[in-house]
Amino acid sequence: MKRLLAGVLVLGMAFSVTANAAGDAALGAIKGQTCLGCHGVKNYNNAYPTYHVPKLAGQHAGYLVAAMKAYKVGARTHATMYGNVVDLSEQDMQDIAAYFEQDGK
Amino acid sequence: MKQLIKMVFAVVLIAASTSVLAVGDIEAGKQKSTACAACHGVYGVSASAMFPTIAGQHADYMVKALKAYKSGERNNPIMQGSVAGLSDEDMVNLAAYFASQAGLKTLKK
Repeated sequence: MKRLLAGVLVLGMAFSVTANAAGDAALGAIKGQTCLGCHGVKNYNNAYPTYHVPKLAGQHAGYLVAAMKAYKVGARTHATMYGNVVDLSEQDMQDIAAYFEQDGK
Repeated sequence: MKQLIKMVFAVVLIAASTSVLAVGDIEAGKQKSTACAACHGVYGVSASAMFPTIAGQHADYMVKALKAYKSGERNNPIMQGSVAGLSDEDMVNLAAYFASQAGLKTLKK
């Protein structure tokens, strides 16, 4: 019985982790409006140096969150990206990433 | 006048040479892509959220990323090791290959 209880507890934890990891794409669509100014324009260019702004629709949400965090802590440097992610919470990032991931499907 | 002609000639030459470099050889890129496929997938669609999908990504963005990994501007041990032996031409070819695959898209407004 104890084992069963422990098993249920572990299962419960697993669910809570998934719930936490999965962002809310509908909320992300609202929170991510600003992103579209660059990432939602086909063939849009970064200025100086000039290169295409990366396509993000269909990208793994987990990778997108890692990228946003890297910009926030300065592990990846890009002034515009820093300015856009610095005020985002972990949950904001998860939501925005969920929206981007499903947008490509 | 002579100087003007020289200048126009030089500009055209530079423009032509950069565009040739930027286009990349898809087939040559494919040949070089075996190591990339281990994490990013054969066609650049990765199976794990740890590794980004690169299929359909803009080629020039990928070249920029590869160079940043090589210089250490972007710090990732796996990528740094993977790009260490790549020439600029290899990078352009690899980027051309992955850009030509179906995958990522621009976000819909």
